[in-house]
Amino acid sequence: MAKTIRDPRIRISRRIKKDKVFKVKVKFDHPSFTGLGIVDAETKPVFSRAIPVSFIRNMFVYFGDQLVSRFRMSSAIADDPLFTFKLKAIQEAPVKVVFVDNQGKKWEASKKIKFSN
Amino acid sequence: MKKIFSFIILSFFFLIMGSHAVFAGTIEEEFKIEGLISPASPKALKSALEKELEVKVIDLNLKNTKTGWPVLTVQFDSGAVSREKIENVIGEIEDPAGHKYKVHHGPLLANAPILDEEEEAIAILGDTAEVFPNMKNPITDKAASASRGGKLFVNNCAKCHGLSGNGYGTVAHSFTTWPRQLWVWNNTGEETDGYLFWFITNGRSDMPPFGLILSENNRWDLINYIKTIKNPGE
Repeated sequence: MAKTIRDPRIRISRRIKKDKVFKVKVKFDHPSFTGLGIVDAETKPVFSRAIPVSFIRNMFVYFGDQLVSRFRMSSAIADDPLFTFKLKAIQEAPVKVVFVDNQGKKWEASKKIKFSN
Repeated sequence: MKKIFSFIILSFFFLIMGSHAVFAGTIEEEFKIEGLISPASPKALKSALEKELEVKVIDLNLKNTKTGWPVLTVQFDSGAVSREKIENVIGEIEDPAGHKYKVHHGPLLANAPILDEEEEAIAILGDTAEVFPNMKNPITDKAASASRGGKLFVNNCAKCHGLSGNGYGTVAHSFTTWPRQLWVWNNTGEETDGYLFWFITNGRSDMPPFGLILSENNRWDLINYIKTIKNPGE
């Protein structure tokens, strides 16, 4: 489990052509934990609260000013997840992702799209 | 004279002992504990605490506590040890797996109120795409279909919903909410077909969309089986 949270990073291919589909990869180091632990109560193991629950709740994808996608997540998401999705290069504009976790904290990252010749 | 002298000495002794009991008697305190994460954790915490400080661990309640956090009850001499000192020592103890403990303070924020970005996304994309269609179960031989559905249930659903459909499958322990107890659909009529078909097809939260995994006929078989699941307690 990631002990520290690092700001999200976006990776996009440098060769993007107008009206073609391109791949976006987003890496975000954030711990994910249900909060439950299995402990031995001397008679039989039981599930109990172990640490505060922590997970990424939402990821929003903006292309330019427009919200184009929403990823809804639960505590089943992995630690430090890597997201990959595709967008159509209809404009030269920044791709921005915004993450919100279950504690209401927010992180964002963006990268500008430029068409290659 | 000797008797009077010994009486005074004894009175003085009891007075000192009495005042000590008033100001620093043996007390019991409760601590909510974070970090009990592995099977070895409770034993490691108890033994380390008793070794580090002159305290007696009365109880470590792992279940049925008000807040859900394990509650450690400790008896100690308040003249020799303070609550703060116990909290500090608990924070320094490490269990065999390398986890650290901590005394829990304050309420648990499991899910914060939704932010402006989330409100905006709901306004644009909608809260959930849930439109349950009215559908009719096309399978006429319900008994044979339920029999096929039983096998599909064991392979696809029992991991989370439990073999008896009680919602306590082995995988379900890691979910934020327990899966539904499936006997609520027992002997329900045609009006639930559309809802169940939609739910199995699209999934929700921790449930995957079985529309990608099972054929349409398989999903109807499952529905026919689910409608036969009875509450074993009844």
